[in-house]
Amino acid sequence: MSKIFPKSANSLPLQIIIYLVVLTGIATAGVTYYMTPKYTRIGYAPVQPVPFSHEKHVSELGMDCRFCHSNVEKSGHSNVPTSQTCMNCHNQIKTNSPLLAPVRESYASGDSVPWVWIHKTPDYAYFNHAAHVNRGVSCVECHGKINEMEVVAHNQSLSMAFCLECHRNPETRVRDPKDVYDLNSQTIAAKAGVEAGEKFVHDWKIKPPQSCSGCHR
Amino acid sequence: MKRKFDHSAPSESALTGPRYWRSLDELTATPGFQQHLAREFPEGASTLDGVDRRSFMKLMAASFALGGLGLAGCRRPEKNILPFGKSIEGVIPGLPQYFATAMPLRKSAIPLLAETHQGRPTKLEGNPTYAPHGGASSLLAQASVLDLYDPERATVNTSKGDVLSAAAANDLLAGVGKTYAAVQGAGLAFLAEQSSSPTRARLVDQLRAKFPKAVWSEYEPVSDEPPAAAARAVFGAAVKPIYRFAKAERIVSLDADFLSAESGSLYYAREFAKGRRVTKKEDPMNRLYVAESALTLTGSMADHRLRLASSHIYSFAAALAGKITGDAVYARVAEGLDIKPEWIAECAADLAAHKGTSLVVAGAHQPAAVHAIAYAINASLGNIGRTVDFVEVAADESVSISDLAKAITANSVKTLVVLGGNPAYNAPAELNWPALQKSVGEVIRFGYHSDETSALAGTHLAAAHYLESWGDARTADGVVVPVQPMILPLFGGITEIETLARILGLPKTDGYSLVFDTVTALGGGDSAKTFRRFLHDGLLANSAYPIVSVNLSGRGLAQVLGSVAPAVGALSKANLEVRFVTDHTMDDGRFANNGWLQECPDPITKISWDNAILVSPRLGKELGIEPKGSLIQVARKEEADFTQGAENAHVFTLTVGGRTVRGPVHIQPGLSNYTAVVALGYGRTKSGHVGTGAGFSAYAVRTAQAPAFVTGATLVTTGTRMKLANTQEHWSMEGRDLIREANYSEYKENPDYVREMGIESHAPSNLGKVGEAMTPAQRATEIPRGGSLYETPKFDGVHQWGMSIDLNTCIGCNACVVACQAENNIPIVGKDQVMRGREMHWIRLDRYYSDGKADGRAMADLFGGEPSGNSILPEDPQISLQPIACAQCELAPCEIVCPVNATVHDDEGLNTMAYNRCIGTRYCANNCPYKVRRFNFFDYNLRPLDSLYLGQLAPKGMPELVKMVKNPEVTVRMRGVMEKCTYCVQRIQNGKIQHKVKTAQAGRPSDVVVPDGVIKTACQQVCPVESIVFGNILDPKSEVSVAKAREQDYALLGYLNIRPRTTYLGKLRNPNSKMPDYAALPLSRIEYNNKNHSGDHSSSHGEKPEKPAKQSGGHSSVLPSNHSGGLS
Repeated sequence: MSKIFPKSANSLPLQIIIYLVVLTGIATAGVTYYMTPKYTRIGYAPVQPVPFSHEKHVSELGMDCRFCHSNVEKSGHSNVPTSQTCMNCHNQIKTNSPLLAPVRESYASGDSVPWVWIHKTPDYAYFNHAAHVNRGVSCVECHGKINEMEVVAHNQSLSMAFCLECHRNPETRVRDPKDVYDLNSQTIAAKAGVEAGEKFVHDWKIKPPQSCSGCHR
Repeated sequence: MKRKFDHSAPSESALTGPRYWRSLDELTATPGFQQHLAREFPEGASTLDGVDRRSFMKLMAASFALGGLGLAGCRRPEKNILPFGKSIEGVIPGLPQYFATAMPLRKSAIPLLAETHQGRPTKLEGNPTYAPHGGASSLLAQASVLDLYDPERATVNTSKGDVLSAAAANDLLAGVGKTYAAVQGAGLAFLAEQSSSPTRARLVDQLRAKFPKAVWSEYEPVSDEPPAAAARAVFGAAVKPIYRFAKAERIVSLDADFLSAESGSLYYAREFAKGRRVTKKEDPMNRLYVAESALTLTGSMADHRLRLASSHIYSFAAALAGKITGDAVYARVAEGLDIKPEWIAECAADLAAHKGTSLVVAGAHQPAAVHAIAYAINASLGNIGRTVDFVEVAADESVSISDLAKAITANSVKTLVVLGGNPAYNAPAELNWPALQKSVGEVIRFGYHSDETSALAGTHLAAAHYLESWGDARTADGVVVPVQPMILPLFGGITEIETLARILGLPKTDGYSLVFDTVTALGGGDSAKTFRRFLHDGLLANSAYPIVSVNLSGRGLAQVLGSVAPAVGALSKANLEVRFVTDHTMDDGRFANNGWLQECPDPITKISWDNAILVSPRLGKELGIEPKGSLIQVARKEEADFTQGAENAHVFTLTVGGRTVRGPVHIQPGLSNYTAVVALGYGRTKSGHVGTGAGFSAYAVRTAQAPAFVTGATLVTTGTRMKLANTQEHWSMEGRDLIREANYSEYKENPDYVREMGIESHAPSNLGKVGEAMTPAQRATEIPRGGSLYETPKFDGVHQWGMSIDLNTCIGCNACVVACQAENNIPIVGKDQVMRGREMHWIRLDRYYSDGKADGRAMADLFGGEPSGNSILPEDPQISLQPIACAQCELAPCEIVCPVNATVHDDEGLNTMAYNRCIGTRYCANNCPYKVRRFNFFDYNLRPLDSLYLGQLAPKGMPELVKMVKNPEVTVRMRGVMEKCTYCVQRIQNGKIQHKVKTAQAGRPSDVVVPDGVIKTACQQVCPVESIVFGNILDPKSEVSVAKAREQDYALLGYLNIRPRTTYLGKLRNPNSKMPDYAALPLSRIEYNNKNHSGDHSSSHGEKPEKPAKQSGGHSSVLPSNHSGGLS
């Protein structure tokens, strides 16, 4: 049998296997890091048609979240306010600002201002705001410190793993119901320890669904 | 007051979809990008002008890549949130709004609450304020919401092929009014449908006053109310009966399908169920005798059923009346009736023993003489004012369509206005309406679809659906209900009352004003308040038809009897009777393009997408189409020749009165021997792609002289075959204990009879001795004798959901099937897929025939023995119905076999489905013993039903209009995932959340248990007889716990130890032991005993009263005597 392969070819299978393993490892690591909601969503801060600054309106002016997101306590959707809500103040303040032109046009014509949707879960997962904000979960847990954002950015991954993290351990994330809309407040656990959080969860009979039926309908 | 929503078309700036940058210019033009630029590269922004593309790219490359252009393909598409410009009072995005309305149908209406999401109606429920219905609605009402979003509805007005604008249409109508005002209406004719609307009645009166010479004709192809001539003859008054079934203990139905086909059937079903429901052995139970030719739902509930040709019902009624009253006036009519005299004698005796608590009902389609006899019997038994009330109704002064046809033939009609209906399709055949309509000079057709009548009309005005119209109607007992629009007319259609108002030239022609004027006049008091209350409640208080006392006139009765001769001539294969029935789902054909109704199988024949000529097994044998036998492994005679899952029916021509129609023949047990039953409402030629070509039209052989039944027909084979989509091949329970039945007398002695049936009665309990003694709540939480191979879920939720279905009251109306489809976004699959068994209904109704003959000797005839019990199709069966949906088994066999854990159990007892995780293995459906899991074989929601097999190459996309009917609370499923009943998990979750929000805001946050009755599943809410009960089994006082505590409670296939949360309550029958067809046990029970207790080994069962005589195989004395001698 003539020698087709040089001697160095003996180590080839092992090399191939090692390279494949390393490649798979890199690919897996890459996918796990880059192709999960934690990477792809966090930081998403699209440009909005009107440069609304939560920092100015909430921190500086002291508006409560519910002034605009008025149905968050009643409905599953936390509504983005209608132009009428904006015009309640802006028919007297900055009445000629070009930045507010879309709002004024919208109020006059009835067309919507095309806000860009930032916090979006898949269609098959149903999240209900009212169930959370009425039971001690603050806006800041999922949306971050919106009161300090000039431009709203996606703060948490809002993946199912993120939701389950809290659903499995609500005692560390709940706060006093009157602190829910105070984004600078602390959770009960941070203020008084985990036992206090657990007591709240027990007293309020908080049983966050961990089974599929909780969100998947 | 009704909110006025503005649904003007979205403008340019309102984006409707993902917005991709198509070009750099587009990107640079938006204000957003300018700001982005200004923020990131202030110097770049200023140097943008006058820079060429290359330098621009160089400058911006990095920012583009980071800003999203480079990685745009990896980024999710940009979506928008579009709030309103101006806020709308009372609208909370995410929460549905409910408004009261009503669905009018002929001379009655069903009051409804429409659930609207984002301004469009998605689901209809009954209006609970209207007590007689108790919040229930019918199958047709549930499906009517889909009609609103029918892409093939008329969207424009047309005149001679050109589009007519709304203004031009208004001018046209006003012009008609002006032209004919001058001649007092001579030459003007209207052909309208029946309507109960007080506003329309008011406008018609004005029409008659303004155009005295005009012809106002009303035509309905099917009748659901007794003919007015009967009451006029015997009472001398314009009255109609309203039956009080709850007070009746003995009911006789003379070909009356009062549980589903007659006007007021929802109320009657509910009341009948009150008398039927037996919760403990002291409760009374009513008894129903039915004499009919077709097998209807009322017949399936009968305790004694006589198969009798419809044309002989008259003689039968006379015989019964003669026996009860002893009056000789009936003798002549009753002559020649060929049935066992004992049947009538004993039935009469039973009625006579219940004076004042009995009831005789005649079918609406029967001639006036039969109704006169029924009224006379009721009067003689003292039922009037107790089990039947007569209410005063307006006398009908309209002209019949036959008289209108005469006027057209005499050339006295110059302008014909057709309001609704479809006379070109369903007018009596002898009129040859299409030719008549074409002969009229000007035909203005007001209609919802562009159908057969529109094709022959010069002008077509697009009608608005009742969900987008202002109007009013009356329920069957006369209560005025509103018809409120839920949404502005999607295509600018107008309503019937607006049309009439424009022809009249009234100053106010909008529907709202017309209805306001009518209702405030009827209601009195402060008009604004009255009207607001009317719209809020959904009915006008104290507006029912007044009950009047009536006196039977013997002379009137004798006159009626004398004028109608009894039917003569024996029926045979050469002289068949044809019975035209209103189809259960198509009604008279108006719902032909409604996919939900086409796909909903007929409750008795189980055929969908088609109608058939139904013949009795005897006639089938004589015609030579009896199925040739069955597969060896099947222990029963097939009900038809099935090939590859589809019924292969013989096609015959039916000839009656010289007219012929072709259609497939289906053998239907339970029919009168020589009656061919044909359902109306199919065979549309111009109905949209759903309705066209489904079935054949029986109107082609129907005349005005005999609209319901006619004799002298023949059936001749064509030699060809045709496939029918039959959803249930199994007609026999084959001796299994699927539906556990007992006679009422046995139940009274032994309420625990369900425990003596099934394998559970022979084997040690799966729950162990301790578990057997537990309540359902305890069993759920403690899981006695769990011992299963996988970890059973811990049922520690604060609720545990369960359901109980009462088989004793279920009438098989199929409203639950369509309600579930509407609530859960269940797609239709089309006839081809139904033939493959792929219909998507989450709940189905199983229908079984029992004749007492099934036994354990299957295939005996193969080995030369006597034919085994199920080897012949039953002629006179008892019918049993069972709704089956996912039973949410606690130890579900479907959960352990899912390779990806897409179906898991939650802590409240629901077997949940995560659609996005399902990979379509279908092992779960395989493992389900009830076969309630449905698989999306194709993308039924995205691809058209006629190109499913093209897969990705098929045209993509559901029409926007059809998308609007989907319920946003439920996922719309794609190809390749499994779905099944979820106990309406969206309603459960929303109910729990709303309760928690309410209690948290009220300061009682630990109160998290939802009170009983707040959360209702769709099927429970729609059921008119309250057969389906759902709730929390942890609460011992909840309705469902009470139902499960009843002795008749059992689990279907309970021996499998899967612990279903949906259990059934056994069925009871209440036969009269003196009747000739009395059976000491229900026939299915006899079959069960034959199959399971053949031979003598029943010593271990102990002594129980009413035990059947020992069976030695074959027919025992407890079987009903052969009643093939019935008049056929």
